[in-house]
Amino acid sequence: MMSDKQKEATSLIVEQLVQSGIKLVASLPDDWIAPLIDAVDKDDRFKHVPVNREESAIGLCSGAFFGGIPSLALMGASGLTTCIYAITKINYSYHIPLFIFATLRGVIGDPRPHHISNGLYLTKLLDSISLPFLLVEERKTIERIPAAFKHCQAMNRPEVVIFSEAVLLGEA
Amino acid sequence: MDLRDCFKYFAGRQGDGVVITSAGVTSGTWWRTTHDMDQVFYLGASMSMISMFGAGIAMGAPKLPVWVFMGDGAFVMNPGMLMVERDLNLPNLKHFLVSNRVYNATGAVRLANAKRNDYAAIARAVGIERVFEIDSLEGLHSQFDKIVSEPGHTFTVLEVEPLREKPGGVPIDDVESKFRFGRYIEKKAGIKIFRHPALEPLNR
Repeated sequence: MMSDKQKEATSLIVEQLVQSGIKLVASLPDDWIAPLIDAVDKDDRFKHVPVNREESAIGLCSGAFFGGIPSLALMGASGLTTCIYAITKINYSYHIPLFIFATLRGVIGDPRPHHISNGLYLTKLLDSISLPFLLVEERKTIERIPAAFKHCQAMNRPEVVIFSEAVLLGEA
Repeated sequence: MDLRDCFKYFAGRQGDGVVITSAGVTSGTWWRTTHDMDQVFYLGASMSMISMFGAGIAMGAPKLPVWVFMGDGAFVMNPGMLMVERDLNLPNLKHFLVSNRVYNATGAVRLANAKRNDYAAIARAVGIERVFEIDSLEGLHSQFDKIVSEPGHTFTVLEVEPLREKPGGVPIDDVESKFRFGRYIEKKAGIKIFRHPALEPLNR
C-alpha cells in the first residue's frame, strides 16, 4: 500500500516522463520501483513492456530509437550492472541514445546485504565506462529528468537517472 | 540447407522490409549475399538482442516488415526473449532462427545440448502460435508466403549446415550504419528518427 507521499513522488516522476516525450517503457522490477512500474502500466500515455531480463530492455529501447519512439529502460541497480556488455556494444558502438532509470541500492539506509555490492560499485562502475548519471536524492532533482533525457539525446549515448529510496518513497 | 542459398532466396523476396542480423555468420553471410548497407542493420557483438531490437523498430513502424536473423548461439543466451515477443505479438516482426548447432564464427564449437535442443518447441511453449521449421530450400519456397506474407508474428527455425568457410566481417562503420539504416526507415516508414535536441521539442 503506497503512502500519499509515495503516490505524489511517483506521480511527479511520471509527469517528468511525459514532459520528456517518453512513449515506451520497458521494465524489470526491483521492489523500490515496483510502484512506479505499476503507475506506468496503468497510464495509457505509455506503452509498457515487461521484459524477461534487463538486457532485453536495452535491446528493445535501442530498436525503438529506430522506430522513432522515445523510450525508457526501467530497472534496479543489480539489473543495470548486468547490462554493461549490451550498453557498450550496442549503444556505444552505434551511438544510439538510451535513457535508463535505476535504483541507488546498497548505500547507507539500505540494510539488504545482497545489495552491498551495488552500494560499493554501481556509480564507480558507471564512471569507469564514462556513462553519465543523474543522482536523484532530493525531490527537487526529479524535475531535472527532462533535461537529462535531452542530454542523452544530444550525446547520442546512454544516460542513467538513479533514485534513492527516500525520493521514491516521497520522504526526501 | 545451405545458409547462403537460403539467404539468396530471402534477399530476392525482401521488398521494402528491413533485416537485422546477429553477430557471426548471419551478418557475414547476409553481407556477402546482398552487399546492402541501408535495409539491414548488422548488430554485431550483441548476441541475443536482435529480436528485441527488431521489436522496437516494428512497434514504431508497423507497416514496415522487420525480419530478424538470429544465430542459435545467440538464441540460447536469451530464450526468454520469446516471452516478450509473444506478449507484444507484433504482426510485422518475423523472427528467423538460423540453427546450425555450433558457434560457427568462433571455431564451430558445438552448443550445449546441441542435438536435443528443440527451438520450435520452446517457442510453442511460450504461446507463440505461428511457429515453422524449415530444413530445405524446397520447404522454404513452399512455406515462405505463409511465414512472411501473411500478417502475424512468426518464429521460424531454419536448420542449416555450419559453414566451413567463414564469410568474413561486414566492412561498414557502426555509426555510418546507424545513419544509413535510420535514413532508410525514415524514408520508407515516414517516421522521424533523427532530431536535433536543441532545436526540436522532444515531447511530440
